Amino acid sequence: MAEELKIGVVSCSGEDCAGGTISRLATRKMMDSIRPDNTVTICLPLFLAGGQEERAFAKEYPTIAVDGCKRACAKQATEKYSGKVNSVVFVSDLIGDEVAEGPALSTRDLTAEHQAMVDKVAVEITKQFDAIMNEKRKEATAPKEDSSCGCGCNC
Amino acid sequence: MSTNKKVNVLACSGMGKVYGLMAREAVLHTVNHLCPEQAKTLCLAYIVTGEEEALAGFDHQPCITVDGCPAMCSAKSVAAMGGDIQEELKVLDIMKLHKGAKPGTATELTPEGWAITEEIAAKIADRVQEIQKEGK
Repeated sequence: MAEELKIGVVSCSGEDCAGGTISRLATRKMMDSIRPDNTVTICLPLFLAGGQEERAFAKEYPTIAVDGCKRACAKQATEKYSGKVNSVVFVSDLIGDEVAEGPALSTRDLTAEHQAMVDKVAVEITKQFDAIMNEKRKEATAPKEDSSCGCGCNC
Repeated sequence: MSTNKKVNVLACSGMGKVYGLMAREAVLHTVNHLCPEQAKTLCLAYIVTGEEEALAGFDHQPCITVDGCPAMCSAKSVAAMGGDIQEELKVLDIMKLHKGAKPGTATELTPEGWAITEEIAAKIADRVQEIQKEGK
């Protein structure tokens, strides 16, 4: 059996805005309960500090960046050091700029409203995650084109 | 001598281990509750982009880094961006004083995890006060 496909989810985890906390928690939710067998989180600080294993993973496997705000630090970093991300989820698009760019949020101060935001972001990540997964599975099972010379004429 | 500059306190926020969450929460507790007038935090990933706006609140200001694991990503990243690091704190050093403790997971801290995190925050706050007094 072929190795099960993994997808890297890279959260910005921004410390200075609420969107960072939401991005982090939604990504953790992917790992803990939604797609635990196929989600690999890439530790962004390690990635930035030169982590070769993280960078190699993001080169080889599909990635989804989860960014708290439009600065798109997770996307920028992934694309700088590894390659184009397959998808980006902007937390600020889902919960609004005002909340996302609001004051830094401790997990201890999470309200039911914040939890609902985490769930909403996790739903969007899952949607994109499943679309990538389906596409990759199709690619993996598609019959190889039988063209010996590569000209497309089936000669 | 003292300084009016706020001390930058920067956590690694590592995603894979509870120690990353402890570093993050200790920093947030410090800047939000223990010394909001003397310390602030910034998004580590934003600083590393090197954008002018990101570095505006970072350059020429003393920094404390707080790292969850021996990879020391916060310290390395801040150093790489030319930050003036006055202290490198390691969550694991404090965990050594709490052998057998169960602080929780990378998603959620236990009451024991929160108590240790507050201890880390108190250490950070002490250093913030010292740095301010030294006028760095």
